Amino acid sequence: MDIELELFGALRDLEAGDRLRLPVAGGTVADLREALMGHAAERWPGITPGLLKSCAFATPDTVLRDNALLPADGHMVVLPPVSGG
Amino acid sequence: MGHHFVHVADRANEVLDPAAALEFVSDPGFGGVTMFVGRVRDLNQGREVAGISYDLYRPLALARFGEIAEQAQREFGPALKLYIAHALGRLAVGELAVVIAAGTPHRDEAFRACRLAIEAVKHSAPIWKQEHYVDGDSVWSEGCSLCDAPAVHAATSPAPAHDHDDPQR
Repeated sequence: MDIELELFGALRDLEAGDRLRLPVAGGTVADLREALMGHAAERWPGITPGLLKSCAFATPDTVLRDNALLPADGHMVVLPPVSGG
Repeated sequence: MGHHFVHVADRANEVLDPAAALEFVSDPGFGGVTMFVGRVRDLNQGREVAGISYDLYRPLALARFGEIAEQAQREFGPALKLYIAHALGRLAVGELAVVIAAGTPHRDEAFRACRLAIEAVKHSAPIWKQEHYVDGDSVWSEGCSLCDAPAVHAATSPAPAHDHDDPQR
């Protein structure tokens, strides 16, 4: 399925418009992470090495673990390590 | 529940208001009121800071603030009043990034609830800071991964295992 990803923090600098539509082979968050890593390898030469491994994926309500199913509406956000306060 | 207030203040329209925070957590039955105010500092890791831009995922941040308040209420009792507000957008040195206030009948719970809330906000809310330096460079802070179950109680140690070296501390 296609997933519409919204990007935050350092990831905003990597993609014009702060959004990305990614085809994902599989139905879990882990599959989405793999698809995003593939996209990064091709399109984001400037990304900090290892950053995507420490990113979390979320819906507006909650952070989803790697084994969680992707939401039916296809909308998710990518959350780099946080640094509020 | 009416005992907590959570807010995101877009710097383009407003600034954080410590007086409003104190007013919200005040009560005739409360002998203890505490507040933490995080401000943008002018130096970080030897570099002169000109300002900070805060990015934030608003729906999840507000949901997280609410969860933090509920956790604090479970720990410190139903009387607790808690106020959590964070800034969004570009702030100059000295401007307020975060305001937390807690009110309780006695001082110990007020101090502990305030500490719990600020540590949880820093370690588990979807907020990102980009430091802007006087030399013109800008860098996103490294931060704390949300991959490992951001449970509130795990983010409330009085002595965090690591330090983000952020300009407010």
